[in-house]
Amino acid sequence: MTDHTSVDKFDVIVVGAGVAGSTAAYLLARQGLQVVLIERGPYPGSKNLSGGVLYTHSLHQILPNFWEEAPVERCITNQVVIFMTGSAHFNIDYKDEAFSKAPYNAFTVLRGKFDRWLAEQAEAAGAILVPRIRVDRVLRGHQGEVIGIAAGEEEMLADVVIAADGANSFLAQEAGLRGRIPTHQVGVGVKELIALPRETIEERFRLDGREGAAYAIVGYATQGVAGGGFLYTNLDTISAGLVMRLDDLVQNKLKPGDVIEDFLSQPMIAGLVKGGKLVEYGAHLVPEGGLAMMPRLVADGILVVGDAAGLGVNNGFVIRGMDLAIGSAAAAAEAILEARARNDFSTGGLGDYAQKLEKSFVLADMRTYARTPEFFSNDRLYHAYPAMLTDLMRQIYTHHAVPREHLVSMFSRSARENGVSLFDLVRDLFSGVRSL
Amino acid sequence: MNIIVCYKPTPDASDIVVRADGSISVERAEWILSPFDLQAVEAGMRLAEAAGGKVMALSVGPRQISNSKLKKDMLSRGPDELYLVVDDALAGADTAVTARVLTQAVRKMGSFDLILFGEGSADLYFQQVGLQVGELLCIPTLNAISKIDLEDGRLVVERSLEDEIEVLETSMPAALSVTTDIALPRLPSLKEILKASKKPVTEWTLTDIDVQGGTVKAHSEIVAVQAPPHVERKKVVLEGKPAEAVQSLVDALQKEGIL
Amino acid sequence: MAEFSEIWVFSEKPSFTAELIGGGRSLLPAVGGRLTAVIYGSREKAEEAIQYGADRVLWLENPLGSEVPVENIVPTLARQIEDQKPRLVLIGTTRRGRAVAGRLAARLGTTVITDVNQLTYQDGELLARHMIFGGGAVRLEKPRGETILATAGLGVFVSPGLGHPAGGDIQKIELVEPEWQVTLRDRKVRMAAPVNLVAARKIVCVGRGVGKKEDLSLVEDLARALNAEIACTRPIAEGLNWLPRERYIGVSGAQVRPDLYVGVGVSGQVQHTVGMSMSRMVVAINKDANAPIFSQTDYSLVGDLYTLVPLLSEALKNRKP
Repeated sequence: MTDHTSVDKFDVIVVGAGVAGSTAAYLLARQGLQVVLIERGPYPGSKNLSGGVLYTHSLHQILPNFWEEAPVERCITNQVVIFMTGSAHFNIDYKDEAFSKAPYNAFTVLRGKFDRWLAEQAEAAGAILVPRIRVDRVLRGHQGEVIGIAAGEEEMLADVVIAADGANSFLAQEAGLRGRIPTHQVGVGVKELIALPRETIEERFRLDGREGAAYAIVGYATQGVAGGGFLYTNLDTISAGLVMRLDDLVQNKLKPGDVIEDFLSQPMIAGLVKGGKLVEYGAHLVPEGGLAMMPRLVADGILVVGDAAGLGVNNGFVIRGMDLAIGSAAAAAEAILEARARNDFSTGGLGDYAQKLEKSFVLADMRTYARTPEFFSNDRLYHAYPAMLTDLMRQIYTHHAVPREHLVSMFSRSARENGVSLFDLVRDLFSGVRSL
Repeated sequence: MNIIVCYKPTPDASDIVVRADGSISVERAEWILSPFDLQAVEAGMRLAEAAGGKVMALSVGPRQISNSKLKKDMLSRGPDELYLVVDDALAGADTAVTARVLTQAVRKMGSFDLILFGEGSADLYFQQVGLQVGELLCIPTLNAISKIDLEDGRLVVERSLEDEIEVLETSMPAALSVTTDIALPRLPSLKEILKASKKPVTEWTLTDIDVQGGTVKAHSEIVAVQAPPHVERKKVVLEGKPAEAVQSLVDALQKEGIL
Repeated sequence: MAEFSEIWVFSEKPSFTAELIGGGRSLLPAVGGRLTAVIYGSREKAEEAIQYGADRVLWLENPLGSEVPVENIVPTLARQIEDQKPRLVLIGTTRRGRAVAGRLAARLGTTVITDVNQLTYQDGELLARHMIFGGGAVRLEKPRGETILATAGLGVFVSPGLGHPAGGDIQKIELVEPEWQVTLRDRKVRMAAPVNLVAARKIVCVGRGVGKKEDLSLVEDLARALNAEIACTRPIAEGLNWLPRERYIGVSGAQVRPDLYVGVGVSGQVQHTVGMSMSRMVVAINKDANAPIFSQTDYSLVGDLYTLVPLLSEALKNRKP
């Protein structure tokens, strides 16, 4: 065991200044703890990529009315789901005025700006932000407990380490909380940021002032690979992209860059981004495994929050990660304060964290969506059902000289043509209802 | 030994926006430290570490230079102290004005053995201020310095000119503008980043350093800052197998009368 | 003071002085005006300046064998400028030239308009044009003050050639003792072979796509086949030191306008392309189809340079005239 007496010691080291890390750092620094927030990128958010939609509830509880000061883009009032096939698409278009007033439901954000602001709140509360440092090891004490971190030759000690280092969390693996993540539990999110004048966006998406639209696209968008497309309006840019399961991508020998280019050239989508200028392109890992994928959350001297804890929901209609990350950070901060009071930072001492997550919306929602990954593996979702829906609409709206068929027989014929049996239909319906 | 290193944070050139009329805007750009200045800082750090001494970083400019991230960033590179002269009147200051203000600040900072400057600023790159400051202070002032050594209290430097490298000797105090190959800047370590927040920062106004209004008057009227002129290019991509593509090129060049 | 009737030029390099004389002369008003060349060197150099077209030479003798560095003449120059108040002093941009200009500026209480690529008149005022933001922008300004200091690089102006009659007005000036001195201890010659990129009609430019120094032979073959001069981007000259600094094209290097520019493994960063963007024809060879250079190219070859360059050299050698 190395002698650590000459090394700096802090109360908490947070690794990763994404939304989970910065929230945890803020909450703990606010209580007077000595907190160091380490980020491997040149600034918080530089290594992050989100669709990105932030559901407001969890941050609102920590920083009430944060939207008044934080760099948020638009508040989402229009939610659209698109079932896409090769030549047609079927949309569900929902707009709610309630969403255009405080406390708002969700905002689109740009991570580079947003994360920076959030980390600044943590700094203002007293946390020390350390950018451009990459943590590569945990330090262990006599009983194997985590007592700090190391970056290259430099070391730093703390009572507790918070692993907030993202979907492919290195620390969680290092600390033995999880093994290597199987590729079917990880998604690849790929996104383009496309610039368009504000007025064009507002006109095209039928938005008033700072209202925003969120589109979820299912079906052809991902060329059969499990996943979906999204399109969100920011102030003067559009975030358009796809989340796809990594193993499927690999198996189908598709490159994310090609799939997204194809997606953006689909007539429905192309029309929405027409005339825009590509400003940024990026890809990022996204936890996809749902509840089944979550690692152990606590070990002696360390706990895991955010994407690193596998907290993410993607049910096709809704993609959530940030609000869950923030919720987990809040639970973690509470647990750490209690552990401090007892001076017990062991698994037992920190164990309240898991319980708090259970009781909060975080794990409750994760449980609700537990079957979602499985549901989304259903191939029919990507081919047959979008085809059937668009078939149906075509039938309804096309008029021939010959008398029209009845809707039900139209529907059963369509189902047969697309290789879907009644049994499949019923089973999928049940599955969908339970998972969504 | 006391070493002063002057630096100039500037708007990040990659955030330049070209307006519809062809003019340039850096309003939304973030201000960053310049790699040229970091090289000078590194040179100063190595000398101070070898000979024993301290490094003081100095910058003058509008309020953007007082950004806490910039201050922390500079201090995490090693300097012991930071001095700033902050005044919006210095926004877009020309080299003569900058040099005069720096000179006044240096006089207030006390004695020094060496003042170091980067090769040029990241935005304008006029490569002037270091030379002007040295001359205003009436001390030996040299540019293009690629190596600095101390020998019995004298300065022995290598100066990289176009055809040759001169080995020159002169006395201290001196002002040196260094080249890009003087020293590879160190990456800020965890320890240095943490220490940075605890180091002393002194911020002065123009009045604090006895600079009168007349000193900051511009010596040049800027008429326009525009995007560079564009030559329309054919952008023909020669396709096909390598041998074919190459032949197409030769044919095209012959046709154009270039060969 | 409306017209620029008294223009001085100075460079420690004679070939440069010739160009500056040409440039200075082109700025003199149609009627009257005098071009003075400041020469630090031998009498022959002073006479040569007259033959390049200087109306007058201020000659500071540099006796053969003297090791007085150029730096030590700054106070002398400053005194002359203060006494005679020329309207414009044009100094050649070499590293030494920059130092002289900067130190003069401090003494005269003015600024220097550096690296101008164009000087013109507009309503009786001097308009200077130069690049900033690493080539990302062009700045136009009107310098103020009694004496304007400006520097210009090689190739901006044209040498008038030794056409003028000899025997002009050569005034010897005396050295003013400088307040501080540098001692020259040693000189290490750099490997530079004389190259004039600015005069080259065809240029083959080496970029980071070329992996090893040994691979330069491929490029040399191509240059031979094209009868072109070899140039490079900054990292090749300054970082890797495969080629001397004189061969580097870019915002702080040479600015060229050849008939043909061929970029081999050049990505096309703006700091480089501003030095060649006015080439008549641009060809680029790069394996990255998204390299910025391709948006500024007339003919693009996307592929492996190790395959394409030898093929190109062959095709050029075998072409029908």
